[in-house]
Amino acid sequence: MAGGALPAAAQSRAETLRYVTGATINTLDTTMPGATREAFGLSMNVYDRLFSFGRKKVGENWAFDPDTIRGELAKSYSISPDSKVITITLRPDATWHDGTPVTAEDVKWSLDRHVTAKSLAAPQFTTGSLTKADQFKIVDPQTVTVTLDKPDRLALANLCVCYAIMINSKLAKKHATADDPWAMEWMKTNTAASGAYIVDSHKPGESTVLRRNEKWIGGAGGALPFFKRIIIQTVPEPATRANLIERGDADLAIDLAASDLPTIEKSAKSKVVSIPQTNGFTHISMNTQMAPFDNLKVRQAVAMALPYEDMFKAAIFSRGTKLYNATWSTVPPDASFPQAIPNKTDLAKAKALLAEAGHPNGFSTTFAFTAGQTATAEPMAALVKESLGKIGIQVEIQKKPDAEFNTLESEKKMPLFTDGATAWLPYTYYFFYLYFTRDQRWNFASFKSKKMEDLTLDARYQTDKAKYEEDCKQMIELFNAETPLIMLWQPNHDAVMAKSVDGYTYQFYRQADFRDLKRV
Amino acid sequence: MLTGILRRVGRRLLASIPALFGVVVVTFVLMRVLPGDPAVFFSSGPSAGKEEIEELRRSMGLDRPIPVQLVRYLGEVATGNLGRSMTTGQPVISDMTRRLPASLELTCTALFIALMFSIPLGVAAALRPGTAIDHVVRMLCTLGVCVPTFVSGLLLIYAFYYLLGWAPDPTGRIDIFASAPPDITGFFLIDFALKGDWEGWMAAFSQLLLPACTMALFVLAPLARMTRASMLAVLGSDFIRTAHAMGLSRLRIIVAYALRNALLPVLTITGIVFSTMLGANVLVEKVFSWPGVASYALDALLASDYAPVQAFVLLMAMIFVMVNVTIDVLYGIADPRVSVA
Repeated sequence: MAGGALPAAAQSRAETLRYVTGATINTLDTTMPGATREAFGLSMNVYDRLFSFGRKKVGENWAFDPDTIRGELAKSYSISPDSKVITITLRPDATWHDGTPVTAEDVKWSLDRHVTAKSLAAPQFTTGSLTKADQFKIVDPQTVTVTLDKPDRLALANLCVCYAIMINSKLAKKHATADDPWAMEWMKTNTAASGAYIVDSHKPGESTVLRRNEKWIGGAGGALPFFKRIIIQTVPEPATRANLIERGDADLAIDLAASDLPTIEKSAKSKVVSIPQTNGFTHISMNTQMAPFDNLKVRQAVAMALPYEDMFKAAIFSRGTKLYNATWSTVPPDASFPQAIPNKTDLAKAKALLAEAGHPNGFSTTFAFTAGQTATAEPMAALVKESLGKIGIQVEIQKKPDAEFNTLESEKKMPLFTDGATAWLPYTYYFFYLYFTRDQRWNFASFKSKKMEDLTLDARYQTDKAKYEEDCKQMIELFNAETPLIMLWQPNHDAVMAKSVDGYTYQFYRQADFRDLKRV
Repeated sequence: MLTGILRRVGRRLLASIPALFGVVVVTFVLMRVLPGDPAVFFSSGPSAGKEEIEELRRSMGLDRPIPVQLVRYLGEVATGNLGRSMTTGQPVISDMTRRLPASLELTCTALFIALMFSIPLGVAAALRPGTAIDHVVRMLCTLGVCVPTFVSGLLLIYAFYYLLGWAPDPTGRIDIFASAPPDITGFFLIDFALKGDWEGWMAAFSQLLLPACTMALFVLAPLARMTRASMLAVLGSDFIRTAHAMGLSRLRIIVAYALRNALLPVLTITGIVFSTMLGANVLVEKVFSWPGVASYALDALLASDYAPVQAFVLLMAMIFVMVNVTIDVLYGIADPRVSVA
């Protein structure tokens, strides 16, 4: 894709969306290990999946809705009474970008690739019990069935996520080799897609230009997206991105510094859309396998010593939803998660708990965060240090480069640290399965509990809704009793855009979905 | 004379090979000693577990012992393969060929602007030492050096783009809605000129002006100060007094006799400044979204992405060698007495 010359004059500025971002799209194949979040966002716009989450109003704004699932490349689906067979009917008039029709063979090949190839799709698909190629069968050119060993509640939802792209198998196979039967190398820099936008030019680290696929039929109600052309431009400096939006030269940015937002809210040409990240949480984790945090009383003492309100204001300027100060004590009011946990600041009680745990004079520890989150984590760290100091815990603050932090986190070597997390599939069971079971990277606190393992296992295959909710409530109760990590808040997702841009939707992968946007 | 220069250049280039080899090895080892595991960093997807991390490590060749990796890497470098960047997903060599002209164009323009101002300023200060002119020059230089480039860059953007609206938006080498020139040399100003597209040339030039000025401001001080010092020394020497005594015109004395002799140390400094600028303009590149090599290497370094960092250091070492050789040759032209053994 040389040159990158744009047919500039031909299309009007109003039909073009200029999106500025600090990050880089490093692959056109989102399933490639190492794919960035920007790459996820691109693939949602360029590729179709079989299904898509719906969207719902949250206050004034839109957010994705994991409880409604609609067909994207699929026209319809049905689930057998025992919940083990999903029969998927494809849209008969769907075509790939090269004009050839979408067939069941393509869908089967794509699904086979996701469970067979060494990509990021395979481990994700196991969370929906999609593990072997022989689970996918072609019934006729328009129909595919997915057969499950057990009625996994996340099978369908997994077909909506960023990895579940549907690939033009005839095109991809032309570029497959004996060493690379799934054309993974070719797909890093080329697309074989059917989605709403077609990649016009791609210069990683500079810009990527998309044009609308005029034959796209995967939209809700079959509607085409409003924008004919999308320019995704990498602008590393947040202040410059803010300037561009304020001047009206760029249309959309989602990763500005929180301190720039108040100015933009007052500006004449731009607006801020703030939506709670309903599938995420910011936390302070304690390593439950490492002294002194292997002691429940120490963890509880820390949870009572944190200055929640001050942190909420200093770190994210109160732009978010609190996950502390809940009024319940042991049994949660409902089965939703993340929900507020009854943690409150109480230094006297914290000191007493610390004494009971055998540390009347406190101890020394470190508090780590990643350099990438300096803006929010640095003020938070200062408050944590001050407050824990009051109960005798001496804290040394450690700011680590991103790669080093990730390595330490993965190797479970940090006693106390803060990080954020978002789950693509925001179902209560999935949160606990992902973040509080098994010896794996996302188990931040290295939490080990037989009861939690049993509860998540039961919930996963539970077809009785009431029993599932009971399981979920018990997980939350257990989490609150054991305090492996301390929930702080759900930060808002702040999208900054020109006043004329409308329809922005918060998506589970925290990127802009250009298909929803329009200019009014 | 020409064969003498060529022989000298050849000798210098040969002598630099061990140094380059050392640079490659040291960078290679240094990157692996730094904390931070690229396999973990890049398999940060929501479902990446231990197996995926191991698989990625294997595919990056990081599962082998470091000496084996080093030998393999040296073999690849010798055949011109610098590896693949995980940050951009492209082969490092193609990233570099696209980005190096951007950095060079910016650095050369900045250096040109800096020389345009610093030499007259330095000369003016030297002619009237201790006067108001001298103090103004000193103050300008101090300011230029004190203000970090990202501050002066952001200030210039704020003033000329945000408030006044004179400058185009500070994002890259050309307006995102305009078309780029045909890819001939990679230098936009040259490519536009070759094509005869003067409107495009102006567009590229106006994008370039602000970042180049930011950088020029920063290197104004060493150049102007060096010009001043060396000019003072020359002006006090015997042959200038003789020239005055012979009744030569003042302009002729200053330009033809004094300045030519005073430029030798300035030339040396210019070489050093140029190499430093190329590597150290990372902040300017970041602030102006300039797609250059320095910001590319910094992104890679933060992500523990080995291949681009190693390639960047190697490239810088090579440029440093080239610049030194060029300066040597220029030195010989400016002062025929100089001959490097």
